[in-house]
Amino acid sequence: MDKHDKQLHSKDPGRIKQGRVSGLRLLSAIWIGKALIGLTRILGRGGTTLPGRTALTIAPDLSYLLANRLEMGTIIITGTNGKTTTAALINGILKEAGLRCIHNQSGSNLTWGIASTFIENSTWLGRINGDLAVLEVDEGAFPTLTASLQPRGIIVTNIFRDQLDRFGEIDSIQGLIQKGLDHLPSDSFLIINADDPTLASLKNSTNSSRWTYGLELKLPAHNFNNTGRDIKTCPVCFKRLAYNMIYFAHIGHYYCPSCSFKRPEVKVKLTRNNIDSKGLNHVQVCLPDQKLDLTIPLLGIYNLYNVLAAATCAIALNISSSIISSSLEKAAPSFGRMERFEKENKEIIMALIKNPVGANEVLRTILDQPGNINLIVAINDRIADGTDISWIWDVDFEQLSTTKNRITTVIASGLRAFDMAVRFKYAGFEPEQLLVTESLNQAIETALEQTAPGSRLFILPTYTAMLEMRRYLNKLGLGKPYWGGS
Amino acid sequence: MGAINIYHLYPDHLNLYGDRGNMLALCRRAEWHGIKVKIIAVNPGDPINFSNCDLLFMGGGQDSDQKLVAEDLKGRSREIHQAVEDNMVIFAVCGSYQLLGHYYTTARGEKINGLEIMELNTEAGKSRLIGNAAINCFLWDPPRTLVGFENHGGRTFLGPGLQPLGKVLYGFGNNGSEKTEGAVYKNVIGTYLHGSLLPKNPWLTDYLLKKALEYRHQEIYFCKLDDSLEEKAHQFALNLAAGNRHK
Repeated sequence: MDKHDKQLHSKDPGRIKQGRVSGLRLLSAIWIGKALIGLTRILGRGGTTLPGRTALTIAPDLSYLLANRLEMGTIIITGTNGKTTTAALINGILKEAGLRCIHNQSGSNLTWGIASTFIENSTWLGRINGDLAVLEVDEGAFPTLTASLQPRGIIVTNIFRDQLDRFGEIDSIQGLIQKGLDHLPSDSFLIINADDPTLASLKNSTNSSRWTYGLELKLPAHNFNNTGRDIKTCPVCFKRLAYNMIYFAHIGHYYCPSCSFKRPEVKVKLTRNNIDSKGLNHVQVCLPDQKLDLTIPLLGIYNLYNVLAAATCAIALNISSSIISSSLEKAAPSFGRMERFEKENKEIIMALIKNPVGANEVLRTILDQPGNINLIVAINDRIADGTDISWIWDVDFEQLSTTKNRITTVIASGLRAFDMAVRFKYAGFEPEQLLVTESLNQAIETALEQTAPGSRLFILPTYTAMLEMRRYLNKLGLGKPYWGGS
Repeated sequence: MGAINIYHLYPDHLNLYGDRGNMLALCRRAEWHGIKVKIIAVNPGDPINFSNCDLLFMGGGQDSDQKLVAEDLKGRSREIHQAVEDNMVIFAVCGSYQLLGHYYTTARGEKINGLEIMELNTEAGKSRLIGNAAINCFLWDPPRTLVGFENHGGRTFLGPGLQPLGKVLYGFGNNGSEKTEGAVYKNVIGTYLHGSLLPKNPWLTDYLLKKALEYRHQEIYFCKLDDSLEEKAHQFALNLAAGNRHK
């Protein structure tokens, strides 16, 4: 395996002048950060913002200085959907390879959360406990963090409409990501999803290497789903894009009939996908020089992309294919992403929803499962959820009401419970069928009462609703607190 | 039983902020009132027979989409003007509201010419105007509230003769300085509010349906619907815009 020459970056004079802090300041920042992390845990919250935020006011270059001590550098994952799962899959592969990996697994992916992650994984003397870091990074924080961390590799998963109140429109998200890529060191690698036309037009302007992954599957036509299709125009000439194959939203095999823009050549591809009766996914991944046949326990097309992204990253890091295979076959769903709990022979499945494309894929996966469905959709509108909830109208909840006979309980919950109730009503549910409660705990209690043993309860929360509901499930003795490690 | 045709203009391009919710609200409520609805999706380049259209819905788009759409609209300008003068209903949100005016200058300084149906023009501002908003809407006497979410870079200024859709109670409205929101000309309504707007403001949905039936010279028998869920969602959003979060 290559050792990453981090000294290259520390020679950058501008960087040193701009932000060097004395060792003492770094240490005091680490100590205060560690103390605050301990305190927030005693208070029963997995808070990751406050410790990092406070530490950064003392040592603004903390993350850079600690990242710089990692022998194998930092990998950053950004994009709208799939960051958490992709990061977890890569983390699993690296562990399997015997490497010590730092990972912001609780989904705290802004500048402060990443500082907290570094503090948590360093000793009181400022030594870092890891060989490399795998970090999921919010699109908004991406340019700043790329510039300051000088990562060894970047993965961009996809760009969908998400939290327009924070990022503005898709054009501007793409601009943010490009801005981050402009800071990439020349010895780094960039991995993109070739099936997303917004990513194909991203440029890695330095001499960094470029990897692409994509699906090469023939899917039946019922998998075509046009809702939430954000990109319809060619990013080069603005004419309408055409597709030979659409996997979901604007993801697929595209080409521009008016100019030469088209899906690029793909280095790592997935060519087969069969789901067996146990819900296991049999896939074939084609690497540049060999084929891997894998059985993975993750469902949904979006997870095929996450698997490809992780495999591509592992190959870029020269990890052997046998390690990649054995790790991916053991993959468990990440925090709040189709996570499973069990209580009194009732299965609870929690799946984060945050934008139309992701939510549609979650609904599609739920409806593919046999049996009755009990459902809570919990919509909060805090900053981390997005304060604009109009996206719930772009989600195809209509597909639930067309299979109404399988749906036994429908609960609208969260701060915007009534907006969600109206959404269900206009999706074709009778108001009498709907239970509405702003209290998330109440929603879980009622739903568990109504779920018959042997049946499933699906909980679809937005981000902050998920944190709160997960805490409540922990109280009921289900699952582990998210800072408990995996 | 009434019947109307709703034309959905460029659904693939103008669909930014839950515009699907506005279409759903129109269709569902029409269904509940016993009005037959036919939806015709219009894509750039498709021929449109405006004499069949009773209600034209146009949603929001990104700058790149808006350019493509403006280009296509140019060729249809005369027919749309004629229909508007005859009282056809248009409901336009955000990006397409801007296209109803004379021009829209984008953040990159590009000037996009509009349809010139309304005496207004729009300039890109430095920051985006984002947040929950509520207005007092003059389509009813006494006025009723409309609640939604706004997220626009453009500042829209109305000409002296043009009536705003409402007065801003909370939020930014057309330009953040004049306390007006949206515009109304004959049966054409333009607004920056999404959220989606129509599901949470059912009286506006019914208003649009009623005007479309009138335009078709059809009798109007509206059922009394149970709107208690919609009203609760409305009230919550109103409190939110006013800054009184429940918790």
